[in-house]
Amino acid sequence: MEFLASDQIAIVDLASGEVETEEFSDELCQEKIGGAGINLALYNQHADGDPIVLGAGLFTGSMVPGSCLGVVTAKSPLTGQVAHAPLTQYLGMELKYSGFDYIVIKNAAAAPTMLWVHDGILDVEEAGGLAGLDVWAAVDQVRADKGDDLIQVLGTGPAAASSDLACLMNNYWPSGDRFGLGHALAAKNLKLVAIRGLGLLEIADDEEFVDQCVALQGEVKGGVWAGKKGLLDLAKGMGQDALADWLAPLVHRHRANFNTPFAANSFLFLQGDPSALPEPEEAEMGVLLTDLGAAALFQQMGLELGDAGAILKQCAKLGLDAGLAAKVCLDGGKTDAAAISGALEGLSGPVEGLSGPFSPATPKTAVFGVDQAGDDAWWTRRQAVAHIFGLDPLFVLLAPELSEAKLVELAGIGTELEFSQEGLDAVIAEVCG
Amino acid sequence: MGVKIDPLKCTACMACELACGYHRDDAFALLSSCIVVYRTRDKKDYFGVILKEEEDLVIARPEGLEVKRIGAVEEGGGGGDASAKPMLLREACDLCEDRDDGPLCKQVCPVDAVYLD
Repeated sequence: MEFLASDQIAIVDLASGEVETEEFSDELCQEKIGGAGINLALYNQHADGDPIVLGAGLFTGSMVPGSCLGVVTAKSPLTGQVAHAPLTQYLGMELKYSGFDYIVIKNAAAAPTMLWVHDGILDVEEAGGLAGLDVWAAVDQVRADKGDDLIQVLGTGPAAASSDLACLMNNYWPSGDRFGLGHALAAKNLKLVAIRGLGLLEIADDEEFVDQCVALQGEVKGGVWAGKKGLLDLAKGMGQDALADWLAPLVHRHRANFNTPFAANSFLFLQGDPSALPEPEEAEMGVLLTDLGAAALFQQMGLELGDAGAILKQCAKLGLDAGLAAKVCLDGGKTDAAAISGALEGLSGPVEGLSGPFSPATPKTAVFGVDQAGDDAWWTRRQAVAHIFGLDPLFVLLAPELSEAKLVELAGIGTELEFSQEGLDAVIAEVCG
Repeated sequence: MGVKIDPLKCTACMACELACGYHRDDAFALLSSCIVVYRTRDKKDYFGVILKEEEDLVIARPEGLEVKRIGAVEEGGGGGDASAKPMLLREACDLCEDRDDGPLCKQVCPVDAVYLD
């Protein structure tokens, strides 16, 4: 693949420590397009190694609005089914620029291991020194060891070894994985994957592609999300005004995922003045909320916001999915902060109601009055589109301008390959299982 | 006239950085952008934007703008954090002089944090 790609797929065998690389062929892209489509093909190809596949979408890291998404495809310890977990913030983009389009991780290592991915090189390194660290300490340690604070870390925490509620962590924050894939990573003795992307993506017809992206950006700018920012507005847009009011006192600022117009992450200050703007003296000020799942349950339980924030931070350091943990606690009758906090270490599933290949961290209810939202089939199809092309899974719900026809057209302009709606339909059907 | 940044509108999406990289390389890349989101202080929720102009480094911090002369930064450091380390080696903003529509970073900023003044 000459365009919108690094042209390289890595196959990592953790049992032997060997890494093979393959060319990312035009034929594979044309047939499976990208992201979850190609992840699934690689997963099936290497199924005997119980693989975990990391991949970027066709447009990840490009100028298409919302182009943040990377995808992890693996069998969920919670559902027993193959699932596609989202990698938002900067992680998908970093993978795309790392020199690898897809990474297949097979088998299990005998000792704690990490992968170091950069400049088209993938090193399998021992990680014994990281094994006992919590998520935040491990991220800091890797960045210090490699001398680069911009390294993006797909990691796990102490919870991953024993809990099927352990999620993939995106640096310090939860990834939106609701499938327990942190536990799947730990089962391979893989502590983390450190990624740095300094590459370059060529574009087949760059002027036409960029002109169309700029026009598309102009179109989406006037969409239903315009003038709104963060999880407070998102909660209000879902009709959950009480949740928004509950969160508001501790919200500091809102952050977007890479090249994504709507800022869907909000930071809760757990100390100091949330309205303060200068750089704080303290190294840790609170926790980034990347979805509303856990917060909504804690509010429903009647927790104080500060206590809920402390639990969210505890979950982030443990690498525990706070949304799933909150649900398990609620179902088990633990609804006060001390009981929940005390139960986190050692907490595990099962979790009722989890199904489907895409994370319910992206809301299934109507948001900002979008007509189709709440329609499960429509939601699933839009998630498939997001996970194939590498687009923010929430933003595709808010931006009908990112139509399938437009994305198919852009795919052809960006790659010089031929794509069709029929081909996209087939890949969507496959990734939806 | 020059590119200006409202750091309180900025959401750290890096669309400006990506656009600038394309302007320099005719491809998608981030290494040669003269406008950069600094984003390494996650746990403090502290982020902003750095712009390299011909003579100045403009640091758009949440608490306000800071303008440093390039020579002073070279001698004394203080040009932001790791996100901005190579800034001094990059070309200065040319307002996308080859584009009829003006700076691409301004055009793609989804929240109008980048503007001309």
